[in-house]
Amino acid sequence: MQALQGAELGAFTFFASPLPHDVCGSNGLPLTPNSIKILGRFQILKTITHPRLCQYVDISRGKHERLIVVAEHYEHSLQDLLKQHHPVSSEKVLQIAYEVLEGLTFMNRHGVVHRALSPHNVLLDRKGKVKLAKFGLYHMTDHGADVDFPIGYPSYLAPEVIAQGSFYLSEGSVVEAPLPSGPKADVWSVGMLLFELCAGRQLLQNIEISERLKFIITLGCMDDIVTVLAEEHGCLDVIRELPDNVQTLLRRCLMFPPSKRPTPAQLLEEPVFVGVASLYPAYQNPVSLFSSSPRCAHLELPEDLNELCKGDGQDYLSERTVDEVYHLWCLAGGDLEKELTNKDIIQSKPPVCTLPNFIFEDGESFGQSRDRSFLLDDTTVTLSLCQLRNRLRDVTGEAYYPLLEDEHCGLPQSNSSTELSAASNLPLIIRERDTEYQLTRIVLFDRLLANPRERNCPLVWKEARVDVPPLLRGLAWATLLGVEGDIQAKYDAIDKDTAIPTDRQIEVDIPRCHQYDELLSSPQGHVKFRRVLKAWVVSHPDLVYWQGLDSLCAPFLYLNFNNEALAYACMSAFIPKYLYDFFLKDNSHVIQEYLTVFSQMIAFHDPELSNHLNEIGFIPDLYAIPWFLTMFTHVFPLHKIFHLWDTLLLGNSSFPFCIGVAILQQLRDRLLANGFNECILLFSDLPEIDIERCVRESISLFCWTPKSATFRQHAQTAKPLSDGIGIGRPLAYYSSDYHDYPDLPNTDLSREPLKLSELKAEVSPRISSEDLIDLCELTGPAHFKTPVKRPKTVKTKILAVDIRSAEDFGRGHVQGSVNIPYGSACTPDGELLQCPATHLLATHKGRVIVVLSNIMKNAATFAAHLVKLNYPRVCVLDGGMNKMKSTGLLTVPSPQI
Amino acid sequence: MRKIKGKTNTTEKEFVFEFKAGRNHCVLKVPLEFPVKENVSDLHGRLMLLHKIPCFVEHDLKNRLLAFIESETLEDYNRDAEAALQRLTSGEVDINKLTNSWAKAYTETTLEHARPEEPSWDEDFADVYHELIHSPASDTLLNLEHSYYVSVSELIGERDMEIKKLQERQAAEMDKVMQELGKTMSDQDVNTVASQHFDAQQDLENKWANELKQVTGIQKQEYQEWVIKLHQDLHNPNNSTISEEIKVQPGQLAEGGELGAGLFEEQQQLEESFTIHLGAQLKTMHNLRLVRANVLDFCKHRHHGSSGAKLRRLQTALSLYSSSLCGLALLVDNRVNSYSGIKRDFATVSKECTDFHFPRLSEQLEVVQQVVLYARAQRSSKQKEQPEMPKNGTTEDKNKNIERNSSNILPGEFYITRHSNLSEVHIVFHLCVDDNVRSGNLTARDPAIMGLRNILKVCCTHDITTITIPLLLVHDMAEEMTIPWCLKRAELVFKCVKGFMMEMASWDGGISRTVQFLVPQSISEDMFYQLSNMLPQIFRVSSTLTLTSKR
Repeated sequence: MQALQGAELGAFTFFASPLPHDVCGSNGLPLTPNSIKILGRFQILKTITHPRLCQYVDISRGKHERLIVVAEHYEHSLQDLLKQHHPVSSEKVLQIAYEVLEGLTFMNRHGVVHRALSPHNVLLDRKGKVKLAKFGLYHMTDHGADVDFPIGYPSYLAPEVIAQGSFYLSEGSVVEAPLPSGPKADVWSVGMLLFELCAGRQLLQNIEISERLKFIITLGCMDDIVTVLAEEHGCLDVIRELPDNVQTLLRRCLMFPPSKRPTPAQLLEEPVFVGVASLYPAYQNPVSLFSSSPRCAHLELPEDLNELCKGDGQDYLSERTVDEVYHLWCLAGGDLEKELTNKDIIQSKPPVCTLPNFIFEDGESFGQSRDRSFLLDDTTVTLSLCQLRNRLRDVTGEAYYPLLEDEHCGLPQSNSSTELSAASNLPLIIRERDTEYQLTRIVLFDRLLANPRERNCPLVWKEARVDVPPLLRGLAWATLLGVEGDIQAKYDAIDKDTAIPTDRQIEVDIPRCHQYDELLSSPQGHVKFRRVLKAWVVSHPDLVYWQGLDSLCAPFLYLNFNNEALAYACMSAFIPKYLYDFFLKDNSHVIQEYLTVFSQMIAFHDPELSNHLNEIGFIPDLYAIPWFLTMFTHVFPLHKIFHLWDTLLLGNSSFPFCIGVAILQQLRDRLLANGFNECILLFSDLPEIDIERCVRESISLFCWTPKSATFRQHAQTAKPLSDGIGIGRPLAYYSSDYHDYPDLPNTDLSREPLKLSELKAEVSPRISSEDLIDLCELTGPAHFKTPVKRPKTVKTKILAVDIRSAEDFGRGHVQGSVNIPYGSACTPDGELLQCPATHLLATHKGRVIVVLSNIMKNAATFAAHLVKLNYPRVCVLDGGMNKMKSTGLLTVPSPQI
Repeated sequence: MRKIKGKTNTTEKEFVFEFKAGRNHCVLKVPLEFPVKENVSDLHGRLMLLHKIPCFVEHDLKNRLLAFIESETLEDYNRDAEAALQRLTSGEVDINKLTNSWAKAYTETTLEHARPEEPSWDEDFADVYHELIHSPASDTLLNLEHSYYVSVSELIGERDMEIKKLQERQAAEMDKVMQELGKTMSDQDVNTVASQHFDAQQDLENKWANELKQVTGIQKQEYQEWVIKLHQDLHNPNNSTISEEIKVQPGQLAEGGELGAGLFEEQQQLEESFTIHLGAQLKTMHNLRLVRANVLDFCKHRHHGSSGAKLRRLQTALSLYSSSLCGLALLVDNRVNSYSGIKRDFATVSKECTDFHFPRLSEQLEVVQQVVLYARAQRSSKQKEQPEMPKNGTTEDKNKNIERNSSNILPGEFYITRHSNLSEVHIVFHLCVDDNVRSGNLTARDPAIMGLRNILKVCCTHDITTITIPLLLVHDMAEEMTIPWCLKRAELVFKCVKGFMMEMASWDGGISRTVQFLVPQSISEDMFYQLSNMLPQIFRVSSTLTLTSKR
């Protein structure tokens, strides 16, 4: 997108036509409101960027099918030239013609036709260059089908457009819709415009509309349209005196039969423009971030580098792109409806005055007069940036151009940096609405994400730990997921059209997936959904489509609505990382193992809840499958998923367990108080979850979980570290040591896979000897591949309990461990026997308790016993003491004398 | 359906691509459907994949494909455009009709070409009133309204008294006549006396009705004039007399504790409130209330003395021209009038106080009656136009009904009246129901339920944020309405309304609303609590927000 430069932001509004009463779609679901259709079709316009076109920025839906479109805007237009009432010089006319045609050619290439050309839609920027406005109206309204008003202005309509008829009908009657207009209709309008410029007056102004249109139609019988027009308006002399090339141009444009009229692209090539064309270098589309060609290919540095540094100097904001400025404008309190209401563009009558009198059973209403406030007023209102500039007055230049090489480069070193770092402690919701804070974050991420990936990846990870600016979330996630390469070409090469057996299921699921969202419920959204999902299914022949994949796709599609390839690439990167093998045709062993580990995690973190849930038989299989299979996208609305995933993407594949536990804990009171039926009811429609709290708590749970406790044999096996990735790895997310990714290569001290039945039998998770060594800070001979030591934040949060017999304990034990011999640990009624050791256990409740034994079964039973007694964070050493023996880290107490 | 998508005639054209691979000359022929809907890059990718085309012609193929599609599409455009022009020159399409329809489209949909608006007194008054009621003058306005109300109710009291006196006198006279019957009086005489009585009563009632009409008419005119004047005065405060008055007026909103009369009445009213969440992922919050009351309690005015009456009045006045209106669904029979039953009672209540903003109920009903006739005419002419419209038995039955009396309305249809003089309600939906609602096996497809849906839909389109619905679809209990009947009916209505509310979220983006479910005064307290237990089982009640978190 282009920088704002001298542009303003403008907004205009219109109404989509209301739907007929009570008509269902072919799939039996209610029809999509026209405003949503328009909103979906609008999106692609945001990607059409050209110096001759006003950049589209945003569209928003108001009450009662109102739509407000935000786009780049300029105060001046050809209307101002016409108001001077004298002919424009022919050089100028040629230039304007060339520029308009350039714009039209570019949009035609994207399949868009303007149809609404008029002097006030051809804007002039500060340098007097043409910018076409409202060029997408015809496209976004599906060639006018979704609105009541005709698109285009009577005087400028091409004859074939008139002949094809208008959409608008008086009540009741049914008429065939006109066929869409082609690019040549615009050339006629250009001809009329240029004629007006040459003549210095507006055409056909004082005649009735129907007469005007009749006049245009009858022009077909004339030999020389230009002369006839000139005679009609008494400016024959002026037109006669025009240079030949301008006259030719007018004749070419106002060619009555469409087949003889050139398209904008053809017209540009014609000899009339020989003199002008050389002034305009061909426009190069900026190369996208994910592309196989070098982005610097067309970069041309000026001879004198100082040229680059020249600028107005102060106005940094206008160097930001239009959509960033608009985003900030909204944050700074911008309100579209209010701006339009202030200019009297939105006028509303009190609803009590516009009620109908009588309504049929099918909902058709009568007795309502046509409300004038629903009429089209397409005046564009300039959105004042004063408030935003005021707000950002104190932001220094350094904030706009941060130095990334700086040692502590997190935030720019400026006067306001302290203020900003203070801001970063505020709740996320507030930070996301803070103008200055978002500005610095956007600038920073923009820089980080646009640069070569390998080098900046660690920085992106580091910054993403603070937060991710909503505006750049799509790209930031792509970077976090390691998406790179020419994704577009890859995506294009996938066959998304041929029918496959999964189509039917996809077709059923899409209209039920996050449909509260305007984007995803639009027909365009559905099309994109289908394509991305099919692309994924087709390109992963070993995996299948399970219901839930649609929900999983939703956040990626929402964030990258105009870039399906990126959405697809992100999804393809996400699934193996977090949902490895979940989409196998037979995924039961993967899911069963996952759920078992999850229930162990519940027992580990919240024994009381775990006991209760087990007692009433409310097992994770009953509620947690959609949670994990869709990574919570099925249960939360999009805005919550974004915050959840901002953190999830930084964690490893075991982080979802912690989220699951955190959700349960938020509902803890209600779960504890209720029986099975109530719990099922409660989860069938999950109550509101405070997502920020959920994220916070899952991070803390994650820090308390030994990393091997969530070991799964069906998890993705660690890839051998390649150097390129290796650099990007100092990424430990949380202050604790539990390193996230990759799951470290296996050594003989890692955990060994268990049979599912065995795993299921155990209440508490097992941890590996590695973890034990790490947690107890045992130092061993150097050849052990224990992870590099880092300063501990928590002194000791572990208590090892050795349940072997006292003799075995005496022969060698882990330093700092407590001996509670298994045989004598419990009283017959299930209480722990009172002794100094158990007392110690009780006083250290809350620490991670590792049960050590030679016999795994005993250890597991003892651990289960502790859980029953509501001891949290109980785990068992995998492989028992035998494994520890081989490490030589056991200490033998000196014989007591 | 008003618009039918144009028949885009699809044509198939063949794309031919030739290339040389080594010594082989290869030709690729692809039939393409025009207009091309699919993405060209996709098509290209698919062709490459499907026909195993060597990668060295990849770019060439893409360019040729693009060029082919572009030129062919252009040709189609040309063809269609010329055909349209041809139709004009050949006279197949009438040029006048065409241009007129364009002209109509512009004048009816765009502000630029629309006829200038005639100033509407109603709307100007609405603006003025809305401004005033949100200013310090609101108290004065309310007091004025109240004093008018008092004078009307005095008048009504007087009328009732006089009618009562007349009736007593007539009864006495009649008694005397009856005693004389057979002696000096014949049956004929008795009949004469009775008809005299009746006439006298009619005369009296008419006289009072006229008087009331006159008084309210005067009141309304005075009031409106006064409001306009007050508004003008407030804008040029130099020569203000009224604005002085306002300043002097002490805030009287805090009323004394005159709880007396209203108390007993209100004790009988039972109500329970719920906050609910709707939606699977994105949840919207709404308020529900279950109320046991008489439906007219929402309309009846109380004297300022009774507790909260003035505040309620202020609330209603403040929101009259706002976008948070209150509505009430009233179940009526199939005739648009106010002669009997609940319609008569409602008419009586609506006359208790002058409506300073909207026409009298009787006038509004006249308009409705006109509109109904017009709508019926529209419908039947449309049906004649399109005989192919599927008709099933029920609609034909209905049609017969209508033909019998087209001024009547059918179950599920409703008319709307607007009021500024009711205590808690601005909009009344008069929903037509038949005896079917008393039966035990009402389904979700019943016209009455569809009527509810349309009421909620109008609530959406016209910013009615509070709506009161009779839960059992009756205003009075009857013999056959047993406990199981009530429970079944309540469940049906709860569930349907839940469905409609979820649908509403897609119509208006999930604005928070209040839905009040009204049950007749005569159901038992026990029944009420059974219903209030049922509600949270059907709607998801939001959990209480714990301010102190344990962790």
